[in-house]
Amino acid sequence: MGSHSAPRRARPARTSAEARFRLRRTLSPQRSGTQVVITVLFIALGFTLTAAISGSANDSILANARQSDLVSLLDDLAQREARLQAENSRLENARETLLGGDEYAALNEAKRRADDLAVLAGSETIIGTGIQVSISGNLTASTLIDAIQELRDAGASAIQISDRGLAVRLVASSWFADSPSGITVSGTALQVPITISVIGDPSVLIPAIEIPGGLVDSVGSGGGEVEISESQNVDISAIVPLPNS
Amino acid sequence: MIPAIGLLVGIVLGLLLQPTVPVWLQPYLPIAVVAALDAVFGAFRSVLDGLFNDRIFVISFLSNVLVAAVIVFLGDQLGVGSQMSTGVVVVLTMRIFANVAAIRRHLLKA
Repeated sequence: MGSHSAPRRARPARTSAEARFRLRRTLSPQRSGTQVVITVLFIALGFTLTAAISGSANDSILANARQSDLVSLLDDLAQREARLQAENSRLENARETLLGGDEYAALNEAKRRADDLAVLAGSETIIGTGIQVSISGNLTASTLIDAIQELRDAGASAIQISDRGLAVRLVASSWFADSPSGITVSGTALQVPITISVIGDPSVLIPAIEIPGGLVDSVGSGGGEVEISESQNVDISAIVPLPNS
Repeated sequence: MIPAIGLLVGIVLGLLLQPTVPVWLQPYLPIAVVAALDAVFGAFRSVLDGLFNDRIFVISFLSNVLVAAVIVFLGDQLGVGSQMSTGVVVVLTMRIFANVAAIRRHLLKA
């Protein structure tokens, strides 16, 4: 201790040579009781120094973390565990279904989904309950888009637009444009009058077309005519070729 | 010289035995070590000041360690253990720096 109040007067080393001499004299071996005690203290110091260093080396992150940090860490782990367990049970369920259940259950499920997707993608022909809407007179692309949107909202699963000779299947990527003699749908020029064939529930589809401001109104105000017929066998024969992937 | 050898012996012993620090001792050990280091540097300084007294060194060494541990223990009981140990370490480190600076001035006159 440099600052303890010794009863003696300080006699600071006047030169660095003297300072070095004093250091050497103090460090030189002496035989005295306190020297032994000091040595023991230094052994203890070295021992505890290494102990403290090696003790702080392992998992010091957790040991030095605050309680709130530890709580949030624990919380995090608990949440992750719950998430992983939920995923685990879901996957085990799926595994059991695939292994233990009907041998063809998985295959049938996959086929069913493929059929659904084929209808939506327009890659397969389809015959079913629905309506046919014949439109004559002036028809603009925007009117047609509005009508198609309404039909889709009303649950139409497949839509086809045709004139006397050509038919176009509507899918997600279809587009419309005005043309001098009628309407261009996805690059195919159709001549008025056209027919929209829709597969879906007729009791929902027909109101969707007849609502005020809908297809019937806007075509009628342009001097055209709309004719709606319900059928059990609406034939949608146009398909969209699947892109080669 | 013998205490220096003792320090080396202690370090070698610690490395060889790989002691595991008891959990209740873990917060106090680093503080005690820093306090002891402060006493050692203070001793070197007092040697150069011509004030060194080995009896005083032994007492200051032990009391330094004890007081540091007691302060941290008190902080633990008061619920401010980590802040208290930080404070003790800061103070002791400042003293070590001051002592080392004094030693440097003595030896190098700079």
